[in-house]
Amino acid sequence: MNPKIKKILIGILTAAILTAAVVGIYGYAGQRAFISTLFSGLTLGSLFFMVAAGLTLIFGLMDVLNFAHGSMFMLGAYIGWQFYTNPTFIFGMAPFFLAFAAGVMVTPIIKPYLVAWNISEKWQKALPNIIYALALVALVFAFVGFDILSVADTAMVAATTTTIGNPLAEISAQEPLSTFWLRPVLMFMSGLLIAVASSRPGDKTQFAPKEPHAKKLLMPAALLALTLVSTLVRESASVATLLMNGNLRFALSILLSVAFGFVFGAVLEMTLIRPLYVRPTFIILMTLGLSYVIRELVQYLWDPLTYQMSRPPLFAQPGKAANIMEWLQKGSATIDMYGATVPTYRLFIIALGIVMFIVIVFIMTKTRLGMIIRAGVQDPQMVEAMGINVKAVFTLVFAMGVALAALGGIGAAPFLPVQPLMGDTYQTQGLITVVIGGMGSYIGAFVGAMILGMARAFGDYFALKLSLSPAIAEASTVIIMVIVLLTRPQGLFGKKE
Amino acid sequence: MNAQIPANDLLVVDQIQTYIGQFHILEDVSVRVPRGSITVMLGRNGAGKTTTLKSIIGLTPPREGKVIFDGMELQGKQAFNIANLGIGYVPENRAIFRALSVQENLKLAERKKGDFERKSDFIFELFPDLKRLYKLPGNHLSGGQQQMLAVARALVPENKLLLIDEPSEGLAPILIQQMMEAIRKLSETTTILLVEQNFIMASQLAERYTIIDDGKTVQEGLMKDLVEDTDLIHHYLGASIKTPKELELEHESEN
Repeated sequence: MNPKIKKILIGILTAAILTAAVVGIYGYAGQRAFISTLFSGLTLGSLFFMVAAGLTLIFGLMDVLNFAHGSMFMLGAYIGWQFYTNPTFIFGMAPFFLAFAAGVMVTPIIKPYLVAWNISEKWQKALPNIIYALALVALVFAFVGFDILSVADTAMVAATTTTIGNPLAEISAQEPLSTFWLRPVLMFMSGLLIAVASSRPGDKTQFAPKEPHAKKLLMPAALLALTLVSTLVRESASVATLLMNGNLRFALSILLSVAFGFVFGAVLEMTLIRPLYVRPTFIILMTLGLSYVIRELVQYLWDPLTYQMSRPPLFAQPGKAANIMEWLQKGSATIDMYGATVPTYRLFIIALGIVMFIVIVFIMTKTRLGMIIRAGVQDPQMVEAMGINVKAVFTLVFAMGVALAALGGIGAAPFLPVQPLMGDTYQTQGLITVVIGGMGSYIGAFVGAMILGMARAFGDYFALKLSLSPAIAEASTVIIMVIVLLTRPQGLFGKKE
Repeated sequence: MNAQIPANDLLVVDQIQTYIGQFHILEDVSVRVPRGSITVMLGRNGAGKTTTLKSIIGLTPPREGKVIFDGMELQGKQAFNIANLGIGYVPENRAIFRALSVQENLKLAERKKGDFERKSDFIFELFPDLKRLYKLPGNHLSGGQQQMLAVARALVPENKLLLIDEPSEGLAPILIQQMMEAIRKLSETTTILLVEQNFIMASQLAERYTIIDDGKTVQEGLMKDLVEDTDLIHHYLGASIKTPKELELEHESEN
């Protein structure tokens, strides 16, 4: 058969089956139940998409399956929840990280000089290791005597006991500046030492042109200024943040989570994943191990408890809005959609997912970065031979993928229980999404996520209605995956190998 | 090879050794590429010609030996840094990006914004077909068109040196002629290091040659001397190769 005719026939068949399914379920469930289940499905689909998009982009370009993706989703939720509920922990830790980053960012300035250094080959090998060890010592000393748990706890107490009424009461005093100042200084030194060691002193093969410094100075200088400010405002910033408009605070939480995910992803790729590209199985084991480390760390800081993040005011006022305008004016918790009552926060998540899909499509098809990614999927070596720093692109894509997972996490935080295992379901569903949609295809990730979201939502609906086990919803996603694998092993939008 | 580098050489590959995995592919390869000329690397399949090009650009970095380009040592540097010094690489097997359109393939090769706009007239003059195929995805192109795109891509940025791997491979005779014209025209402005199995094409284009056999440089010199040396050609490149001299004799005997 002509492949074109075959394509059209398959299209018609799929459309017919889909229409029949929609009409059938609609007739069976009635309008209200259908619409409200539809919106649940879209909500889940959006969250699945934000997890799966990162997974599929990273896999497509680097052949890396990130098994810590669910943990990063969870981490995004925790960071955002902390900032929204009680930012003491965030502001208390900020000077440490900012000072360290400022130190590391000095690398491009000192590298040309260090590389040109004349030292014997023996020292070239030994020196970085010695300096790394010193950096570790400085890092440890920066934290000695710092009661990190109490800083984390304040937020926990706030989250479990206070009402929305007065979170300010839960802000506890911080270590006085007279003793605290040494910590960021030590962190900065540790960062500096890392900068020296990672420049590989004396290694003449390193490419480090001596360019004008003004531009390179900008980043460490800005970070140092931020360190200074954040050291001084550790306490007052928490108060100011909590006095802020709740919606604005939520927006800032989202930004913070995404920024955190981006930086975390970039650092992770450069330090742990990059050395393992030649051994792909090790990457899987490493990310799997990392997911446990992250989970344990979160449990250590915030205890293995379940928290509920309150919804921002725009989605929290009791009452049902008749239309979107009324919701935006009153901040109603629910909205009337064609006779069904839908929580307004779900609309927000759906919008977030769709916007992210459009952003990704735009990046992939219209920008130079997207061009590089599409070319790199086929042949990263050739892209590099054209003068493009493929390693940097790998880092960027990994960072973007983790940022997307973190965005999904903070997006889900106000409507899922915040707990250390919250990312696991999304990790599994994200992987199934990627398999259904086709490894490496972002359009496939979107379609696959929506299919899975619908399967979960309607599975739950039928389980309830026909009093079946609720596990049927989760099982249905696996069944869909099996069907896709049997009929189209490369996934719906995957390319044949 | 001389330890000191003649000032006129744009590229000097000095006794490099390259491993791929545990395989010792290049054992002792040296190549000289004088400025403003075409140098061709000859040798049987699997002799190490492609690996030599990849060792120069840094995709398979040599473990021993030196690669000196325009007075700079390249060995150990990362491929993208090497390319940005002004080396264009045209891989064998038409490795264009199939998921990208012709336009995107060319735009991707830019090192500075506007590179492509500056060079587009020159490129379309060399390969008029590409202008017609501008919006088509790479996987819709025929083999010859893909090969032209692969060469055109290396012309987008300002390059001092082009490394071209088997440009005539699998091309129809008429396209070989077009490709030869293009390379000849390019050599007016750019130094070229060519790998070519087609001896007739190589002998007509190149000024200098280097023969690589089993991972070692065995012979180098001027092309006009090589075409006279039928024994050498047959010994290293295979008895089936007809030298221009033999072709001439055949031609005479036919008449």
